[in-house]
Amino acid sequence: MSPRMTPRRHPRRALAAVAGLSAAALVLTACSGDAEEPGGGGSDDPIVVGISLPLTGDFSEPGKGVQRGYEAWAQFVNEDGGLLGRQVELKILDDQSNADRVVQDYEALIAQDQVDLVFGPFSTRLVVPSARVAQEYGMLFVEPAGAAAEVFEQGFENLFYAAPAVADDHYNYLAEEILAMPEGERPQTVAVASMDDPFAQGTAYGLRDKLAEGGLEIVVDEVYPPNTTDFSSIAAKINDSGADMVIGGTQYQDAVNLIVSLQQLDYQPKLAAFSTAPTNPEFAAAIGDKTEGILSPTGYTETATWPSNVDFVERYTELHGNPPGEDEANAYTTGQVVAAAVEAVGCAEQGDCQQQLVDWLHSNEVDTVVGPLTWDETGKPQGAHLIQQYVDGEIQIVLPEDTKEADLIFPKPEW
Amino acid sequence: MTTTLLFQSLVLGVLLGGLYALLAAGLTLYFGVMRVVMIAHSAFLILAAYLAWYFNEQTGMDPLLSLVVTVPLFFLVGVGMQRLLITRLRPATLTMMSVLLTFAVALFIEGMIGFVWSGTQRRIQLPYSGESLNFLGAQVAVVKLVAFALAALSLGLLYLLLKHSRFGLALRATIQHKEAAQLVGIKTDRVAGFGFGLGLATAAIGGTALSLDATIYPSLHWHWIGPLMAIIVVGGLGSIPGAAVAAMVLGIGQSLLQVPLGTTWAQTIFYVALFATLMLRPQGFFGGRLAQRF
Repeated sequence: MSPRMTPRRHPRRALAAVAGLSAAALVLTACSGDAEEPGGGGSDDPIVVGISLPLTGDFSEPGKGVQRGYEAWAQFVNEDGGLLGRQVELKILDDQSNADRVVQDYEALIAQDQVDLVFGPFSTRLVVPSARVAQEYGMLFVEPAGAAAEVFEQGFENLFYAAPAVADDHYNYLAEEILAMPEGERPQTVAVASMDDPFAQGTAYGLRDKLAEGGLEIVVDEVYPPNTTDFSSIAAKINDSGADMVIGGTQYQDAVNLIVSLQQLDYQPKLAAFSTAPTNPEFAAAIGDKTEGILSPTGYTETATWPSNVDFVERYTELHGNPPGEDEANAYTTGQVVAAAVEAVGCAEQGDCQQQLVDWLHSNEVDTVVGPLTWDETGKPQGAHLIQQYVDGEIQIVLPEDTKEADLIFPKPEW
Repeated sequence: MTTTLLFQSLVLGVLLGGLYALLAAGLTLYFGVMRVVMIAHSAFLILAAYLAWYFNEQTGMDPLLSLVVTVPLFFLVGVGMQRLLITRLRPATLTMMSVLLTFAVALFIEGMIGFVWSGTQRRIQLPYSGESLNFLGAQVAVVKLVAFALAALSLGLLYLLLKHSRFGLALRATIQHKEAAQLVGIKTDRVAGFGFGLGLATAAIGGTALSLDATIYPSLHWHWIGPLMAIIVVGGLGSIPGAAVAAMVLGIGQSLLQVPLGTTWAQTIFYVALFATLMLRPQGFFGGRLAQRF
């Protein structure tokens, strides 16, 4: 650096430059109303919704489904004139399926970006830490995918799960169906393999415990870490047990790996149930189209006749060329729940408004694409999941009786 | 544990051990020839797996065919990496600095994979992915059998190359005593470059074998590097037969332990074995005598 460029040689000039820049910045700030209201508090500014999603990593497949659902909701709301007459803008960050990252994301969205509203991420493991951040800032926190019991045991007063039922109750209709079978016909033994994840375990253990109470014998009960890639030993253990039924407490990729490993061992159960994975559009191709008879719980069916669902399915299908799945629907439901509260209360910004939104949801019912929803004081929805099964290559609702699209196949055909 | 499950687990363990042996072979080569601890080896494995997956996605052909391109490509990358990066490290601190340098290379490869193919998990679906053969009452998945056959063939060829070629002779001489090898006219730098290239060529084969029956994602290499390092330490740093035996023992051990202990605890066999080896026999169970003999 030449001596001419050394600031110390010209302290007055440097000070003048700094003062000039500061003055210019102040003038610009004063001229711009937006700069004082980063969240967009003006009546014509968009309502900004902050979201963090696992767009990469362990939960990337369902995470992208949730993203599609949120984006569809924002687009349709804007096409219909917006929320409180204002356009909606989503600010979506990628937390890489990482619980530390999701906390940083919501901190940044709420404290730095000053978003007006937040929507939840995907998976219980990410919902719990992010809900804690939202609670600290007094934000309403409606989430599409934190269904495990522990979500509702944290004392959150601002959280609402936007789906019909929590994880433990997902398989209620299937448990009732199995236990109602005549003693000699129903499965006698059950093998359970579940990811070490609150949601996955919640769904599997809800069914396991109900079947065990009904007299079925649990012959295998395995837990594996989320990053497990080799399922051959678990599959060998299940195969060796000869269990009549297998329950997978699974997300997406682990279900695919486990099923392929079971197929490699030529294990043929009478019933096979895997949480969440079968609802993924990629599922059939991933396991080589050997899907017949596979069961899973779902909080959503595209054929449901709830008024907003008919509209949602039509517009979503027009947008994407295929109907929405459960992840998309749960995300859309989240948007509907928050929108109902915002329209009712008449505000959508940080501060006192958030508590008004929370209070309104605690005392009102909201019509959504998954049906009318109400919540208890912990944010737990008061409903049950549908049971679906691959029948003739198509995934169809088989339980409960009054909403079924096809009869339950039992025993499951060979895969 | 029933006899059937015991035998099934044993068969699975042998198949797993064979794959471990192939994956660890390169690691032990780098250390044997150059005293380099190549943390990026498993990142190259995952890169090869991604290339195999991408080849399958684009052409619909069997990922094994991608080896025609990836093996020579990885060999050249290995030679180049040794020339451009490893030779720049000071001999006095080579081993320690190689850990840091190759750690950075691993991070770079992980980032590159994520940038090109995103963090989404990938899995190759082949016509024979769910198929299996019955072997004395045990079910043997065809993909695992193919991976094992590939591992056995590659390790056999590697053994023949090291045992019966002039290059192999020069490489073994360099491993045994670098200065003495130089005195008899062996160009040890060139041998080291070829050795590094050979190590990465095994990574290309190992990664492709891995891709046949595994879900892959960019950070998967961190899952592999620990067990692979444990295998080469237990086997004896620089000893390919040692690595093969350790891989087989730990693969079978892991598979058998998985039945009574479950998946989470069975993984700890690698770290228990590593700890025990470092305490009882730091040179590894085949270090020294077998390493010099090949």
